[in-house]
This record gives sequence, structure tokens and C-alpha cells, in this order.
Amino acid sequence: MSGGVYGGDEVGALVFDIGSFSTRAGYAGEDCPKADFPTSLGVLVEEEGGGELGAEQDKAAGRTFYLDTNALHVARAGVELFSPLKNGMIEDWEAFQAILDHTYCKHIKSEPSLHPVLMSEAPWNTRAKREKLTELMFEHYNIPAFFLCKTAVLTAFANGRATGLVLDSGATHTTAIPVHDGYVLQQGIVKSPLAGDFITMQCRELFQEMSIDITPPYMIAAKEPVREGAPPNWTKKDKLPPVTKSWHTYMCNEVIQDFQASVLQVSDSPYDEQVAAQMPTVHYEMPSGYTTDYGAERLRIPEGLFDPSNVKGLSGNTMLGVGHVVTTSIGMCDIDIRPGLYGSVIVTGGNTLLQGFTERLNRELSQKAPPSMRLKLIASNSSMERRFSPWIGGSILASLGTFQQMWISKQEYEEGGKQSVERKCP
Amino acid sequence: MATGADAREILGCGGDNDSGPLSKKDIINSDMKKAKKSTDAYKRPQGMPREVYALLYSDKKDAPPLLPSDTTQGYRTAKAKLGCKKVRPWKWMPFTNSARRDGIVLYHWRLVTEEGKDYPWSKYNKTVNVPVYSDQEYQQHLHDDGWTKSETDHLFDLAKRFDLRFIVVQDRYDHQQFRKRSVEDLKERYYSVCAKLAKLHPSSSNGAESYVFDANHERRRKDQLERLFNRTPEQVAEEEYLIQELRKMETQKKERARMAQDLQKLITAADTNAETQCAKRKATKRKLPQKQGAENPPVPETTGIKFPDFKSSGVTLRSQRMKLPSSVGQKKIKAIEQILTEQEVDLNPIPTEEVVQMFNDLRSDLVLLYQLKQAHASCEYEEQTLRHRHQALLKMGGAGTAVGGPGPDGQPDCAGAELKEQADGTGVSLTPSPRKQREWIPGSSPAKKIKRL
Repeated sequence: MSGGVYGGDEVGALVFDIGSFSTRAGYAGEDCPKADFPTSLGVLVEEEGGGELGAEQDKAAGRTFYLDTNALHVARAGVELFSPLKNGMIEDWEAFQAILDHTYCKHIKSEPSLHPVLMSEAPWNTRAKREKLTELMFEHYNIPAFFLCKTAVLTAFANGRATGLVLDSGATHTTAIPVHDGYVLQQGIVKSPLAGDFITMQCRELFQEMSIDITPPYMIAAKEPVREGAPPNWTKKDKLPPVTKSWHTYMCNEVIQDFQASVLQVSDSPYDEQVAAQMPTVHYEMPSGYTTDYGAERLRIPEGLFDPSNVKGLSGNTMLGVGHVVTTSIGMCDIDIRPGLYGSVIVTGGNTLLQGFTERLNRELSQKAPPSMRLKLIASNSSMERRFSPWIGGSILASLGTFQQMWISKQEYEEGGKQSVERKCP
Repeated sequence: MATGADAREILGCGGDNDSGPLSKKDIINSDMKKAKKSTDAYKRPQGMPREVYALLYSDKKDAPPLLPSDTTQGYRTAKAKLGCKKVRPWKWMPFTNSARRDGIVLYHWRLVTEEGKDYPWSKYNKTVNVPVYSDQEYQQHLHDDGWTKSETDHLFDLAKRFDLRFIVVQDRYDHQQFRKRSVEDLKERYYSVCAKLAKLHPSSSNGAESYVFDANHERRRKDQLERLFNRTPEQVAEEEYLIQELRKMETQKKERARMAQDLQKLITAADTNAETQCAKRKATKRKLPQKQGAENPPVPETTGIKFPDFKSSGVTLRSQRMKLPSSVGQKKIKAIEQILTEQEVDLNPIPTEEVVQMFNDLRSDLVLLYQLKQAHASCEYEEQTLRHRHQALLKMGGAGTAVGGPGPDGQPDCAGAELKEQADGTGVSLTPSPRKQREWIPGSSPAKKIKRL
């Protein structure tokens, strides 16, 4: 060991962070993941069987999986699209295994038995699923060592904190998770379904109202430039296979997600029609070539994240806005640690990259937090770090010299069984 | 970039002067070593001051520079000298971690020279010492009606797993099997068991940490904290306002005390002056004023005019003694002149011995009078404002809060202050006591004294 300042020790560990929207994987100690592809995969149920995968279950079920960005975007007849994760937890183990196989084969390109694995999990993961995952990794992939760590803890580590409140607004959920000394306080977790997918749904309704057709790029063979607001002029690809509805919806959602990222903005203060009308409009061109300007809508849609009371289609709801999620979560924790949590509210997740999100959150929190409390919002500026923060935290953790004693080794697994994950990875 | 060492190495005729692998010291400290050697030659002789030595010998034996032109010495980042020695070989090697009990073999990069040494991070493996107890000990000593053995076991297990992070312990506590416990409950139980065990085994290392946990105190503290955090913004604003008011009152109080002191000084000065003058008049009738300097009580310096003593400084004109010292301000000089002209007194009388003395005394008294008048005016002004404020407060507060009507003397403003105090609700006594106030409130004594003068 040299110096003592640098506490890293490389053991060739792999870090997997499999979220409900995308999967991140790579070597520990690197600054960004080697692989980042959608978790959703296409599945084709065959009569005969004999898919791409060698595992026996796959053959029995007769399913072929199409995953990773390229394979997923090819239009195929009868390919249904689904996510193996539900509510952040693994639901379809076969598909999950397909993701791991693919990552090892195409991205890592190395033997699983050579690399210890650190994997992230949802903070509310159930014991049965954790044990099953441990079993899968040791029995099927024969890895030398394994560790499971909660995403919130990893995010906190990526931001250099051991204590803090992690506000994670991803695709399916917005969650506030208190982390104390590197442990998640499970009693204080607050979840709200107002997240990226909710925004996508709102956008879809907006397009229906404005009677704008969403045409995914896979259908388009050619297009002509048209005047603003004029109907698009494009030709459809011929010989398109009969795709399934779920696949088509996914492709449409990708278009909407791009719209979300480039057009939407969170207003600084609670939404006001007059103020919103004066905001500059943003020009956006659909894949089909249709162009128009978006004004007040771009502020109105994300407003639902912070103030769900007057969102259409959610009437009489009791959902919590983002600000409330944070304060409720902190309010459930011990009074002694509340100042520490308010002092480092860590913002992460792709949905928080909406323009103006952190500013608005800061404003809401400073109004809601007790007046004497010091409030600090930690949000890294680069979108890479915001999107990959659990993976980066895992990369840091797994390459620490002092972490190497934390692994569940193969031997420990064989002696203690799959229950050892409960003791070793709290 | 290839250096000579590289070339030699390639050709196989390795330079023997710099053999051996590179070390970190070579890279970083190479400059420092050389600098040390050169300074050794010129040692400072004993007894020669450092400054003189520095003039004689700079580090480069040159004459000392005329301008500060230090470019070679001093702080600069050391350049790493790379490529002049062999690199240290690293190897991807297996290792075991002595902090682990299972002896898992992982691989990592390590210097060949350090092969076989202990894993450097294993020394950071620290655990908290959680005491253990046997079944028998539990039955005999640790029994508690509120706790079962299995629950205590659960608590101790969690305490060990989470290194006494009680907040996490409480979070992960099995609340379904056992009843809901607060952090304080858990701590109380844990530390009481620890204390009992420490008593049982005084010899063991646990005896050192006899920590007494006062659960009730903790609960009260948390209640307080909760209340503190749950204040509304209005309450916080009110508190800040009250604190500001308190500060204002305190400064006012100090100001008043200071003023009272000044006034007291003036009054005593006036008193003593009047007395001496009376004495003087009597004395002049009987004797020559020869011993008066010795008899005079010392007059406070702040009042009147202190004329400088000319006795020691050679020959002077007597009229010089009548000159006002420079410490007297313009305003005072003007005031003196005005009174003198009003009373038709010569501004520059003939300076005989007696005239000089009396003229100076007269002017000194005039200044004192002027100061007393000023003090009187300011006191009167203050009284008026306080009276007005009192009346305003009386109107505002209604009859309920009225403490006393405006009196003829120093009473009213005191009552007003009290009233204000009640209105603010601080309950802190800020005003001086009535007796103290009467000392400086213009009502009786200072005015009379001025008249007497």
C-alpha cells in the first residue's frame, strides 16, 4: 500500500445495477459503466423452442429473448415487449438471467467465475428474492464472491456521503430513502408513482388532445420538410412485419421520452397560467417531420410531479408530490438524525434531469422544512452521474481495500446457505 | 520520450550508477537531496548573526542580489523524474484477507516486493465489543419484567451486527415478533444489561465502559427537540423580534447608566466648586490666599477648564496664563465669550496676578455651568419623550395594564418602561430601579444647583 490516502484495491469485481428502465454493468473502479441498455426485452414465444440461450429452462419455455438496444429496435413479428422487473424487484427470473447472460457474453466478455459481483437492489426488496438471487449467482454463474447493496446506499456513496436522504426519481417511482451511516432506514421509505412514466403518460394525453400522431422512427421510410403546424409528409416503410401492441407502445414511448427530455421544464414557482404563457416556446420536430411550438404545456405537465392535486385523470388522489415525499420520509425518522438528512438531500434518477427540477425542489423544501433547519440539496451536474449514481457508488465501494472483507464468498455460501445474504448484506 | 537510461537498457549495457528499481522517494524528493548537499560546505560560524551570514553567503556564493530575484530556490512543484530507472514490477497475484475468516482467495495487482505480506487493509477491521451473557447469568441477574430473554438476545444480536448504531437497530428490529420499542427503550435495556455484566465481571475489558444511560432525560431532550423543530415561522420570527428588543433594551440601559455617571460627575464638580468658592471668599477677607492650592480638593478633570501650570518653564508673560488651553472646544469658547460679553466683562483684562486667577476661575465655572445646562436640557427632553410614550402606551394597553399614573418626578418613565416590558412579554427586568433613576432625572437637585451657581 502506498501513502494511505488512496484506499483502492482492484480485485476485478463486476458491478451490476439493474433498474426498471435500464441496466448498467461494468468493472468496479471505472468511472462509468461498460454497458447501459434498456432492461425491457422483447420475447418471442416459439412452438418449437431452441432459442439463442443455452440454459435448459429457456428451451423448455420455448422463449427467445431480444435484448440490448440494437436487437430490441428491430421490428419483428410477434415479439412482445416486457420488463423482467416489477416494482424494482425481479419478477421474471428467466428473463433476468437472459440479461445477465447477455451482459457477460457481449459486454464483459469474460468468465463469470473470475469476477466477484456486486449487485444493486431496491431498498424494499424482499428476503425471498434476495436469497433466490444469491442462489442464482453462486449456483448458476459460479461466481467467487457476491454482495448485494441497496441502490440508495450506493447513490449516497457516489455522492460522498454515508448519511443522507436519497431522492430517486426514476422511470416507475419517485422514492425518498433515508440512509444512515451506510444503512437504509426501511421504516422511513416513502414511494410515489409520480415519476418518468407518469410524465410520459401525461405527454401522450397531451398529444391526443392536440391530435398529434406519434410515429416511431421504425415505420418511417422517408419524410419531407413541412411548414410549422402543417400535417407531416412521410412515407411508410413497406413490408413492415405485424408488430405487437406492446412493442409499438414502447417505440412510441421512446419518442415521447425524447420529447420529455428536450421540451419539458419545471416552473420555478407553483404553476400559473399567466406566467407560463409568457415563457419562451420551444420548437420540437417529431420523427415524422411534424413541427410545432410548445408553450404553457411544457410547464404544465411536469407540474404534476410537485403538485398532483389538479392532474387530470388522478382526481381525488392522495399521491404525494416530490417535496412532500421528502419531508414525509424525513419526518418518519428519529429526531436526532433529521438535521443530518435535511443537510444532505441527494437527488438522483433520470427523471430529475428535467429542466428546473432541482431548483423547484429546493424551493419547495425550504418552505416545508422546519425554519431552523439547514437544508442542502446535492445534485451532481452531469447527467451521467445523475443517471448512473448507484452504479458509480457500487464501483467505488467494490474497489475499496476495506470492502474486500465484506463479500459473501463461495465458501461462506456453501457453509451458511443462501440465508447468509441476510446477515452479510443488511 | 526515450532517455539515456532507456537506451542503455535496450543495449544491455546497463548503467551501474543507477541500478535498482525506482522508488517513490526517487521521483519526488530528488531535488531536495541535492539542495542539502550544497549548503553543507558553508557553515555559519558560531556567534555570527544569521542576517550577517546571509549577506556574506548566499547559497550560490554570489554577491547578494540587489533586487529580490529568487527563482531557483524556494517552493516549486518537484518535477517527477521518470524513465531514468527501472520500473517496479507489479503482478496480478492471489491474496487472502486476514480480516476474513473463510480464507477466500481473490486476485489483485500488487508490487512483487510486497508479495506474501499481510493484506494492508485488514488492519482497519475494527469491531465494537458487545458483551455476551450465559443463560444462567440471564436468569440470575439480567431478568427484567418488560423484556423476555429472546427479545434481549435479538437486541444484542442486532447491536453487534450494526455496531451499536441504535437508530439502525430500531429500524431493523423485529417489530412483528416483539412489541414496538423506541430507540431510548433499546438503549436503556442494552446499557443496563452492560452495566450489570460489568459488575459481574469487573476484571473483563467491558468494565471500562460503564456508561449510564438516562432514558428519561433522553426522552425529554427529544421532546424538546421535537418542539423546537415544530415551531411555525411566525413563532421563530417572534422569537427573533423579542431577542432584538431585548438587545435594544440592554443597550438603552447601558446608555442610561453611562449618562447617569456623567451627570453625577458634573454634579459633584459643581458642588465642590461652589464650596471652594465660598471658602475662598471667606479666606480672602481674612488672609492672603497663599495656601489655597493645597487646600483645594481635586476637581474632576472632565469639568471646568484645567489651565496648564507655567511655574516650571522659565520666563513667561502672565497674560499667557489666561490663554485657554487647546482642549477646550470651539463651542465652549463661543459660549464663554457670549456670556462674558453679555455680562460686560472685558475679554482680555489686564493680567495682574489676582485678575488672572479670578478670570480663569470664572471661565472654568462658566464651562461647568454650560455643561450642566446642556445636561439639564437633555434630561428634560428625555423625560418628555418618556412621558409621551407612557401616555401612548396607556391609551393602547387600556386600563388593565396601567401600573401608575404619570407622577411629578422620575416615576412616570419608570412605569412606562415597566409597561413596555409587560407588553413585550419578556419578563426580564431591564430598567434601573426607581431609586437609581431619580439620581439623574431632572426634577430637583441638578436644577437647584445650577440656580445656586
